[in-house]
Amino acid sequence: MSKKVKQKENRRVTGRRTFLLGSGMLLATSFLSGRLYQLQVAQNNRYKRLSDRNQFDRRVVPPRRGRLVDRQARLLAGNAESYLLHITPLYAGDVDKSLAQLASLIELNDEVIGRVREQARKGPSFRPILIRESLTQRELSTLAIRSAYLPGVTFEKSLRRIYPQGALTGHVTGYVSPLTSQEIEENSSLRDLPDLATGKIGIEYALEPKLRGTPGGERVEVNARGRPIRVFRDFEPESGGDVKLALDIGLQQYVTEILRRGQSEPVDMATAAVQRAIAGNRELKLHLASGENMLLRDRIGNITPPESGAVVVMDIRNGEILSMVSSPTYDPNVFTERLLTRDWRRLNEHPRDPLLNRVTAGLYAPGSTFKMVVALAALEAGIINERTSFFCKGSMELGNATFHCWLEDGHGTMNVVRALERSCDVFFYEVALKTGIQRIKAMANKLGLGYVTGIDIPGEKQGIIPHHDWKLATHGVVWTPGETVVASIGQGYVLVTPLQLAVMTARLASGTKAITPSLQTVDGVPEFAELDISPEALRIVHKGMFEVTNGSLGTARAHNLPSRLGGMAGKTGTVQVKRITKEQREAGITKNIERPWKERDHALFVGYAPIKDPRYAVAVVVEHGGSGSSMAAPIAKAALKRALETEGKA
Amino acid sequence: MATENVTIFRTVLRIPWHILLVAGVLVTVGAAALYSASEGSWTPWAGKHAVRGAVGAAMVLVLAFVDFRILRIWAYPVYLLSIVVLIVLLGIGGGGGVARWIHIGGFTFQPSEPTKIAVLLALARYFDSQPLDKMRSILTYLPPLVMIAVPFILVVEQPDLGTALALALGSLTLLFVAGLPWRYILVSFIGLVAAVPVLWSQLHPYQKTRVMTFLDPEADKLGAGYQITQSKIALGSGGLFGKGFLMGSQSQLNYLPEKQTDFVFTMIGEEFGLVGNMFILGLYLLLIGSVLGISYRVSSRFAQLTCIGVAMMLFLYVFVNVAMVTGLLPVVGAPLPLISYGGTAMLTVFLGLGVVASAVVHDRPAVE
Repeated sequence: MSKKVKQKENRRVTGRRTFLLGSGMLLATSFLSGRLYQLQVAQNNRYKRLSDRNQFDRRVVPPRRGRLVDRQARLLAGNAESYLLHITPLYAGDVDKSLAQLASLIELNDEVIGRVREQARKGPSFRPILIRESLTQRELSTLAIRSAYLPGVTFEKSLRRIYPQGALTGHVTGYVSPLTSQEIEENSSLRDLPDLATGKIGIEYALEPKLRGTPGGERVEVNARGRPIRVFRDFEPESGGDVKLALDIGLQQYVTEILRRGQSEPVDMATAAVQRAIAGNRELKLHLASGENMLLRDRIGNITPPESGAVVVMDIRNGEILSMVSSPTYDPNVFTERLLTRDWRRLNEHPRDPLLNRVTAGLYAPGSTFKMVVALAALEAGIINERTSFFCKGSMELGNATFHCWLEDGHGTMNVVRALERSCDVFFYEVALKTGIQRIKAMANKLGLGYVTGIDIPGEKQGIIPHHDWKLATHGVVWTPGETVVASIGQGYVLVTPLQLAVMTARLASGTKAITPSLQTVDGVPEFAELDISPEALRIVHKGMFEVTNGSLGTARAHNLPSRLGGMAGKTGTVQVKRITKEQREAGITKNIERPWKERDHALFVGYAPIKDPRYAVAVVVEHGGSGSSMAAPIAKAALKRALETEGKA
Repeated sequence: MATENVTIFRTVLRIPWHILLVAGVLVTVGAAALYSASEGSWTPWAGKHAVRGAVGAAMVLVLAFVDFRILRIWAYPVYLLSIVVLIVLLGIGGGGGVARWIHIGGFTFQPSEPTKIAVLLALARYFDSQPLDKMRSILTYLPPLVMIAVPFILVVEQPDLGTALALALGSLTLLFVAGLPWRYILVSFIGLVAAVPVLWSQLHPYQKTRVMTFLDPEADKLGAGYQITQSKIALGSGGLFGKGFLMGSQSQLNYLPEKQTDFVFTMIGEEFGLVGNMFILGLYLLLIGSVLGISYRVSSRFAQLTCIGVAMMLFLYVFVNVAMVTGLLPVVGAPLPLISYGGTAMLTVFLGLGVVASAVVHDRPAVE
């Protein structure tokens, strides 16, 4: 009985406790349910967003950059498919190990490995780091096969800027290169496009807004290891606009060739003599190191690098630039990806600054090509007329100073046409003194000197057309008549760019229009401002320029165009860079070719053709080229000839 | 012959079919979840899981025919055997490694799981055989403490703290329902709280990390906290009705780790939402409730305590797992019984249900 009672008692206790236990379980389960409700219903939105962020990698799709083509639609700057290799430290785990693995599969130099490591250490682990650009097909397939063993390593297709004409159009197109931190600072919307390449110089920079296009957006579904699964395009990127340039690549190539050759013959690089010359010449080596593939033998047998300088060929009717050559040049393709230190060093070590666009930013004294400005200023002001003459005895005295004519024995009696034909300095000294620097300055400005032309190339220089106030403002002293004398032959303070010279020549040739240059093709005939120069004065100056190439004593009489092409008019210029020293004169060194390159005169020529109804203007500057008549004139003639001959054909 | 037939027929009738039915539904849910976990494929998990479920159900039926009194007789030897196995396991895996698994013919087997059944059978047997008037004496409860402590320490040494704690908690529940006086419960509870700092110092570094991670999962989003964070994201993004079968982006895109084992509940939550999760919790409550209900119906104390023990074991599995995936408990590596992929836990649960079936089938009213 007692046992039974006890048994019942025990059973009751256990039953009660079991009930408590069950209640506890129910309570705990409701607690879990509450937690589930909290996560799944109350905070659903938050977790949905987090899940979405997990699932989708929101990306900005870079737009396709607009292409640059020449006037015949030949490609100057385009986009080539390229594969980028990225690593995401978060998914890669051990970045060093992954890099070592990659280095055994594809080409990776230590510089790159160091940079990636550095970025991996600094940046957030979820941000992909660019390892390599433009993987080759072979590298791509090598990696694709092993992709499963390379967590966090991804490749994606992108477009890489290419310049098929390379160095030939380097100074025109300029180049794009990866975004700089400064650009991102200025425009924070670029932050989403870390791989975007933007124009840094040349047309690429000037027309950046038009060329770039508008980025699109996409969501990439990625799995937990960062592998993309699917892509959803939310909005398409808008391609940048294509731009047609006025450039004629055929002419560009031809002009480049004749400028670089100058009056010398290319040598066979493979000969022992040439190799010996290279071995003993550091300068030649530096030229060759930065990609030069041509060397010349000059008249006295020295091996020299190609000529440096600039040539501009311009359409007088509409200002189109058909050719714009600056030598030496560079290949813009080296900038489109991460610039190698090696390439950068070579460009900087190059003795002749290949990165300088001599056409727009090279400043040269115009020399005798400035004489048209002085003549026009004097004729318009009525200070001289066609018959006014001065006597050139080879020099002119002014106060205590003596100013020499380039022709030691003098030109004799000169009027303005003869003075232009034979480039008499003394005539212009006299005229300039009577005209005054202010009138000369005003005429120079009218013809486009002293102002930037506004061409689509950044970094254009405006040059210097000196005058009274300028002298006072920059030097703190007054202008002297002697300086007017020097300025009259385009020396002293006067500095212009080859592009300005071309514009001046085009305006002179047109006679009525203040033509401005355009690198893009121009539809129809643009509305240029009126030039407002007396037609009579222009007629006289045109006559002088005609005589330069046609007159029996013209400085460029040897380089006229055949009459079937309508002939050409122009003006030579030879600019003294350094006086011949007394020692050199005593040693008999008076010829340019015998002097060190750096001390030789600059050779200039400006001209237009045909004489009747002029079509093309040209400006040539050959640095330390010797003389305008023997070095620059033949280049100008060849360029004009080619332009006229290929007109409407090329 | 006829008597035998009648006996079989009566046995079949007495089998708690509703328990088997609920277990079957859970296994089916598990197979579906695993099908989704492998992105819509029966391999490598779903098919095997279904087969194991069928084998488990068959085992329950076989156990149902085993006389419960035989289980009572074998309770101690089985307990001793499992202790020996644990010791041998420690010996093999000694040398700093983890010694949780036995590999038998291509199968891996975790003996600490069925040890839970062995311990609770032994405890039930113990309390069943105690003098009825000693139930309020503390001395009665000391031997069970030792019976629990031995396997507990052995499992902790493996080291598998999660399983050890589940084993200890489940077994201690038997002491509670057997009638351990409240004052002792209170005292031991205070003692336990006081012992926490001591226990903490005994933990392995990886266990400490787990606990710390649990306390502040955001601190280490991509390391140990990753699982908890991703699990919460998956559950939370599921919402009320979920993203749909095979549509759980977290799981399908592999953000969710261990989705086929410990985090299967999360995956179901992502694809079927709160509704799906509540359905599963409901099924478990039904199962546990049924087993507890049986504990009231069976007449022998041995059967009663065994049933309560099995129910508690089931509940602990579910609670720990769900609390873990919802970020309420540290990640301890606890499967969701019958749904998670993994043979040992499923076997243990079916073993428990088989014991319950046997208790029901062979229950006889106490001799008056």
